[in-house]
Amino acid sequence: MKKNTTNKIRLGIFVSFGIAILIVGLYFIGEKQQMFSDTFHISGIFKDVADLQVGSNVRFLGINVGTVENINIVSDSSVSVEILIDEDTQKYIKKDAIASIGSEGLMGNKILLINTGPGREKEMENNDIIKTTPPINIDEVLLSLKTTIDNTSSITKDLALISNRIQSGKGTIGMLLMDESLAQDFNTGLHNLSEGSAGLKNLMEDAQISFDKNFDSTLVNLRESSEGFKILMDKAKSSWLLWGF
Amino acid sequence: MKKRILEHFKNRKDKEETIPKNNSGIISHSVFNKFFLEVASITIFTLRFFKEAIKPPYEINELMKQSFLIGFKSLSLVAVTSFILGLVLTVQSRPTLAKFGAESMLPVMVAVSIIREIGPVIIALIFAGKVGSGIGAELASMNVTEQIDAMQVSHTNPFNYLVVTRVISATFMLPLLVIFGDTIGLLGSYVAVNIKGNVSFSLFFSQIFQSLEFMDVFPAILKTFFFGFAIGLIGCYNGYYANKGTEGVVGKAANSAVVYASLMVFVIDMMAVQILTLFQN
Repeated sequence: MKKNTTNKIRLGIFVSFGIAILIVGLYFIGEKQQMFSDTFHISGIFKDVADLQVGSNVRFLGINVGTVENINIVSDSSVSVEILIDEDTQKYIKKDAIASIGSEGLMGNKILLINTGPGREKEMENNDIIKTTPPINIDEVLLSLKTTIDNTSSITKDLALISNRIQSGKGTIGMLLMDESLAQDFNTGLHNLSEGSAGLKNLMEDAQISFDKNFDSTLVNLRESSEGFKILMDKAKSSWLLWGF
Repeated sequence: MKKRILEHFKNRKDKEETIPKNNSGIISHSVFNKFFLEVASITIFTLRFFKEAIKPPYEINELMKQSFLIGFKSLSLVAVTSFILGLVLTVQSRPTLAKFGAESMLPVMVAVSIIREIGPVIIALIFAGKVGSGIGAELASMNVTEQIDAMQVSHTNPFNYLVVTRVISATFMLPLLVIFGDTIGLLGSYVAVNIKGNVSFSLFFSQIFQSLEFMDVFPAILKTFFFGFAIGLIGCYNGYYANKGTEGVVGKAANSAVVYASLMVFVIDMMAVQILTLFQN
């Protein structure tokens, strides 16, 4: 009888713990989805939601603050996305905040990003409509990439043609680089220029020497003549013919 | 027709001995008849279970006892298996995720795998091996030793006392075991993650709860009720209608219980996945 009671107690503990684990687990899952916290509701109009789904996370400053509650097509060019956000973050999200669609990592799920706006507006209120920016469309990126690749292909084709022409000695650059006689002429010219410059150097040296010699003798003559002139002037001063001057 | 089916219950023989073949070696129509008779007998057995389950007297003490034996006594086996399962799954998955530089996704991947699919199915198979065979062998030995007949003589409803209590216990104990098993499996995964890496307990479980949704947990738990019901019912059916006087009847009943219960686990799992996919779309 006692054993039977013990077994029943054990069974009770087993069942209670099992149910408690389930409840705690469900609570944490629900809490992450803002099911047990106060929330406020905003919405945004997008041209394209790029595979954003109901239940996707809403991230503000890198923190998950809410979930996408509903997605509805409004017209042929606009989709309304209703967002539930934790009420604690309401004071930080201003009216000029901008919503965009991003992804979790390179290959992750789509998420809704709320970015802080440029100004200092009032905080977002319940049922407000948030400004949006169109998501980066992978198809458009690929299209742009294709254009770039096409252009690159065309450029490389032209470069290959130019390279071939240069290699075959066509055109000015081709002749310059590939014609051997031109190179020889160029070498000869350089050699001549080198010789010419050596001759010029010698000539200049000779001229320098000659100039130095002539200049020295000119200076000596000049000094001698100035001395003679000085004597002459002294004599003239003492002559009676120039009294009074 | 009912009489024929009841006769079928009483005269079940070894299947291999009774598969009749015609001269050309093609299995004759009687095999199909036998198969459909078996299906009919299981259906009647199931309907009888529901009929007896709602009809008093309610064997509460026996229900408690069976719940203890089926649930609590299986906990240690389930705990060890789940811990190893979580640990091995994490260790094996790590190199593949590391190739893509996605090792940080390890807790999320293992948690979703264990909670959605691997935990319920593996624990149900272990449950089928332990409990299904146990019920089959126990009832078969009671049948062989005519204890079931003795209960009928003493005005005790053997079906209510033996079958209903065991099936209800199996139905409600397996989901609890799966909850425990999943939790212990995740702890095993946490240990494995920290063998090579360094992830805090709170970060590990925060990542897991961040990635899980109610639609991951509810269908997984819901299908374990059906697993438990199928395992209990098949175990009881094989034991309750075991042939008296046949050699090795207890072993055969236990073996059949495990084989058919395991098969049913996979069949129910496949149906559950299909139904879930239908709802998700």
